[in-house]
Amino acid sequence: MADPVLLTTSVGSFPKPDYITKARAEASRGRMPRSELQGLEQKATEEWIRFQEDLGVDILVDGEMYRGDMAAYFAENLEGFELGGAVRSYGNRYYQKPIAIGEVRRPNSITVEWWQYAQSLTEKPVKGMLTGPYTIADWSFDEHYGSREDFVMALADVIHAEAMDLQAAGAQYIQIDEPAISVRPEEFGIARRAFEVVTAGLSATTLTHICYGDFSTIYPAMLDLPVDNIDLEMANSGYVLLDSFRKAPFTKQLSMGVVDVHSHVMEPVEEVKAGILRGLELVPADRLLIDPDCGLKTRTVDEAKEKLRIVVQAVREVKQEKGLI
Amino acid sequence: MEAGGASVRRAWTRLDRDQATIDDVHTEEDGFTTEVLKEQRAAGIDVVTDGQVRWDDAQTYWARGIEGFDVTGLIRWFDTNTYYRQPVLKSAPKWAHPIAAHDLEYAKSQTDLPVKAVITGPYTLAKLSLDEHYGDLQKFTFALAEVLNQEAKALEALGPAMIQFDEPAIVRPGNEGDQAIFEQAMRVLTAGLSTKTALYTYFGGVGRLDASRIFALPFDVVGLDFWMGPENWDALESFPAEKELGLGIVDARNTKLESVDEIVEGVKRAVGHVSADRIHVNPSCGLEFLPRDRARAKLLRLGEATARAREALS
Repeated sequence: MADPVLLTTSVGSFPKPDYITKARAEASRGRMPRSELQGLEQKATEEWIRFQEDLGVDILVDGEMYRGDMAAYFAENLEGFELGGAVRSYGNRYYQKPIAIGEVRRPNSITVEWWQYAQSLTEKPVKGMLTGPYTIADWSFDEHYGSREDFVMALADVIHAEAMDLQAAGAQYIQIDEPAISVRPEEFGIARRAFEVVTAGLSATTLTHICYGDFSTIYPAMLDLPVDNIDLEMANSGYVLLDSFRKAPFTKQLSMGVVDVHSHVMEPVEEVKAGILRGLELVPADRLLIDPDCGLKTRTVDEAKEKLRIVVQAVREVKQEKGLI
Repeated sequence: MEAGGASVRRAWTRLDRDQATIDDVHTEEDGFTTEVLKEQRAAGIDVVTDGQVRWDDAQTYWARGIEGFDVTGLIRWFDTNTYYRQPVLKSAPKWAHPIAAHDLEYAKSQTDLPVKAVITGPYTLAKLSLDEHYGDLQKFTFALAEVLNQEAKALEALGPAMIQFDEPAIVRPGNEGDQAIFEQAMRVLTAGLSTKTALYTYFGGVGRLDASRIFALPFDVVGLDFWMGPENWDALESFPAEKELGLGIVDARNTKLESVDEIVEGVKRAVGHVSADRIHVNPSCGLEFLPRDRARAKLLRLGEATARAREALS
């Protein structure tokens, strides 16, 4: 059988249906038992798994119905962190930024049970989803380590252990997101060393999602990351990143974001197909995966579903037209 | 700048749900301004601000007030995990009306302490915007310098203790090549002002720049960040005797609370280069990156340490 081409996937998060948003608020006020919330989170996870299966997505995600902020979720489940008061993300959006107050330790695995649950619902592979050590450190306050490097490397050990547990549980794909990695180019070396620790000894296919930064400062250096697949947003920047691939060829698998997750506007399928074709000029089909730019959690449920439908439809048509079956 | 008060945030949420009007939001913002002024007084701060409680972020607050800009998608503000909506320049920028006058007047009405006005500088504003009009950083920056000069004159008429211009972008890596543009823009920006003026840099040090030329610009006070720019200690060697220093000595990017002793030591170290009557003790940047309780705790420490340093030095 020929290698699979133009596999479709998602970056990670999906929007929470209203009943989850309400239940989380109730539970945080102590008005709903955790077990009841968890039952609802399982229901929502199953709905998203079914949706992806029915749509024909190749590599699934659990949608992160049980996570709030992607960095704080890990901090909440590690020893050594406390959650601080609210700080602004933007405009009137605030989040509780974690504070490292002691040695970071992982008393139990964090994501494995949820991964097992999601994988039990489908024959398709479900990605294990982790936030990388550099990003967790960068998005936290540090009152303990006093050195960014020490803080990042301590988190690297913890996330490595979590990745090994996911692999032992059977995860074929493990994604370690590092959206903060491009923010301080001068610290790329630290981030890379941490990534080496995280992925050491992993045989699962590894991926990382990088976003919201100035890529030009870390490309082609990002190709040195010990990871099989790099997931990059392309649609929201009009695919300008592809230009850098002409100067220094992209040597890994690429997961290419083809719909803008921060816009209510639905991309026409033709526009998405054109984007995929531009990617194919630079990365061969067996190394090119297609997905939305980033996690879809900030869209409404309907918008997120429609964006995913557009992605899958565009891939299907490109495959057909190019004879890539 | 202060992380938003809960009452202001709730008012915005109610507005989103059509349960409140924009006037309700403004009432809460006024109330919160009064609260942060009281907090600054309680901490023993000598020159206060309105807390910038009406700023969505340091870019759009100004871009929305200047004609010629659209405001678009979210992007990260420097290396913080705080995001701003990027202004896009569509036509030559024009100053049509005062932008921050109400905020300054209101703050002045709520305190008898001297109030300083804060304006995002033209270089930082230009650097973090998309320029679809000039396609030329120099023209864009100069045009904004003229616009903000008009704003500064309008604020000056209201009697602020000082007008502070924030220019974090100039100390960020990679921007050192813009120093000549920056210097000329600063002259346009301050032309004809007689109020005391300050240039505040943060998120980096002046080490990549020709520091003596930055210090020589027409400002009375130059603010430096000694946390993200530790090399600023070296730059102090050439700090001119006639200038005042904004000593960014309390880390406004991390919750870890400095001890009073540590802050006093920092002040004493600076006094080795700049005479004590020319030093303003302040956080390394605005306090909005911290949770409210930590921001307050830092301000209290800052006030306490400054009082202690004053005693020790007198």
